[in-house]
Amino acid sequence: MSKKLYDIISKVFSVQISEINDESSPETIESWDSFNGLILVDELESNFNIKFSISEIIDVKNVKDIKRHLNNHGVDLDE
Amino acid sequence: MTLSKNLDDLKLDKKLKVAILPSFTLNGLDETFHVKCSEIGIRYQSYVAGYNQYNQEILDPKSKLYSFSPDITFLIIDIRTLLNEIFHHPYSISSSERKKIVKEKISELRNLILQFKKNCGSKLIISNFSLPSYSPSGLIETKSEFGFHDMISEINQELSKIAKDESSVYVYNFNQFVSKFGEKNIFDYRQFFIGDIKIAFDYIPYLANDLMGYVKPMLGLNKKCIVLDLDNTLWGGIVGEDEFDGIELGQSSNGKAFVEFQKHLLSLWQQGIILAINSKNNFEDAIKVIREHPDMVLKEEHFASLQINWNDKAQNLKAISEELNIGLGSIVYFDDDPVNQERIKQEIPEVLTVKLPEDPSQYTDILMSLNDFNVLQKTDEDLKRGKMYSQQRQRSELEQSTKSIDDFLKQLNIKVKIKKADKFTIPRISQLTLKTNQFNLTTKRYQEEDIIKFSSDNNMIVGCAQIEDKFGDSGITNAFIIEKNDKEWKIDTFLLSCRVIGRGIEDAIISYILNEAKNQGVGKIRADFIPTKKNSPAEAFLPNCGFKKENGYWIYDLKDSIKTPDHLLLEVE
Repeated sequence: MSKKLYDIISKVFSVQISEINDESSPETIESWDSFNGLILVDELESNFNIKFSISEIIDVKNVKDIKRHLNNHGVDLDE
Repeated sequence: MTLSKNLDDLKLDKKLKVAILPSFTLNGLDETFHVKCSEIGIRYQSYVAGYNQYNQEILDPKSKLYSFSPDITFLIIDIRTLLNEIFHHPYSISSSERKKIVKEKISELRNLILQFKKNCGSKLIISNFSLPSYSPSGLIETKSEFGFHDMISEINQELSKIAKDESSVYVYNFNQFVSKFGEKNIFDYRQFFIGDIKIAFDYIPYLANDLMGYVKPMLGLNKKCIVLDLDNTLWGGIVGEDEFDGIELGQSSNGKAFVEFQKHLLSLWQQGIILAINSKNNFEDAIKVIREHPDMVLKEEHFASLQINWNDKAQNLKAISEELNIGLGSIVYFDDDPVNQERIKQEIPEVLTVKLPEDPSQYTDILMSLNDFNVLQKTDEDLKRGKMYSQQRQRSELEQSTKSIDDFLKQLNIKVKIKKADKFTIPRISQLTLKTNQFNLTTKRYQEEDIIKFSSDNNMIVGCAQIEDKFGDSGITNAFIIEKNDKEWKIDTFLLSCRVIGRGIEDAIISYILNEAKNQGVGKIRADFIPTKKNSPAEAFLPNCGFKKENGYWIYDLKDSIKTPDHLLLEVE
């Protein structure tokens, strides 16, 4: 479940997939700074073929938020 | 980007200190440089100034920038930062006010450049400003009296003028970078609003690639020679099978692609890049095309070496490198056949083997996007190089037809002109120290600024020699740097460009230095040979000249007689 998303997060922040959960955030993942956050946006957009708005980007506080916005763009993470 | 953290820098022998001064968030450039430097064997150290701190860093002589003491500094200011409010409202003021603002901005930039030069020996690369495609005055922008776009063009022009007067300052054409990749791609509003990012990070690697163009020639890593296959590389088809009239060159769409590719190769040759052929073919078939085909742009005279035979291509490449006396690391190889590409990559990884697609319409673009032929200064020698290599071929022919080496040398009528370092010779002396690997006793690399400093030091001699013979002028091909003491002189640098090795020229120049020291009442000359992977051609030079080893140095006692070769003429300017 959510494998593709976790793969991307793991690659962008250089963390193990096992360390990622819904509550993962800039507080729990050291390399999640604003710049890497934007790289994550870029990777998600190109992998899922969507475009986020600025308010969506700045609204994201943790992985759960990312899933919510992906859902809003019609991405089915359970595929 | 995380790759940069894992690089084992300690294995790398060349070092480079890079400073980056951006006026906006430019994350990623540093990391990309690090990776790119490691790939070509450079140990990379960097200093990235804080966000928009470039003014303080440059104007404060005690800044961290200066204590870092970079070799090369990239100052990247964007047009929004430079123009402030005027960027959005250029027409809120009169044209004479716009002119006044542009004057102020130019003088700000000039002051930054001059302060930087005063405080730091680093090369400075300053980016120019991108011209926005939009103007609030719309279609009549081009009719506006000193309009918005005129302002930016004027700033760019003046910036180039400043750099033309300062040898260590270069303008990076960022405006061209933006037009190459497109304003809409480079400038991403979301990244700008969220992080003040003015170059979208997808394009940072391309920017880094452009800027690496300055780094390679600084460290002598630029390429000097292009080796080309023939069939399906310089023309379409296989001349051995399709025959003279059957190859594609000139008329058809594919034929035009090959002509275009050749035209670009010729323009590089005119800038001093050496061309050579490495092709599996019957020599007669191939040379007939080169000599007689009406649409062949490149002629026999443009090729310094023609390896057209059935030998192994790797062996041929090594033969070219030996024949032309240039390192394999200075060669770029073009061959359409993926098997050959792989073979050369495996066998000679030092050679830059270009990945060519099947479609020849892409060749020119690939050639133009190679960022490996840059030089930071162009000397007369560079521009004459192509001609010099064809003269070299004539010399070899004479050598082969003459019985003894002594006769050959006498017939050459060599003239060695010793020159002092001055504003005409300093760029070339620096270039020789950066590029000469083989006949080089100490392989010390010096930038132009170093040579200027040495040449104004009374305790040092900086000189060079220009070589001529009956076939032509080889230009300045030797340089030497000597530290003087009353009792002893020390040879800091003594080098000879490989294309004039083996003609007694080095012996004549060293005998000049020995005689000069003797006349000034010096007792001894001390020299050093620092072995590298490439300088074995210079290894026996000192003992052959009569230097004797004492405590790890080579010493020449000036009480001994000094040998001078008699087959050449020595002149001192």
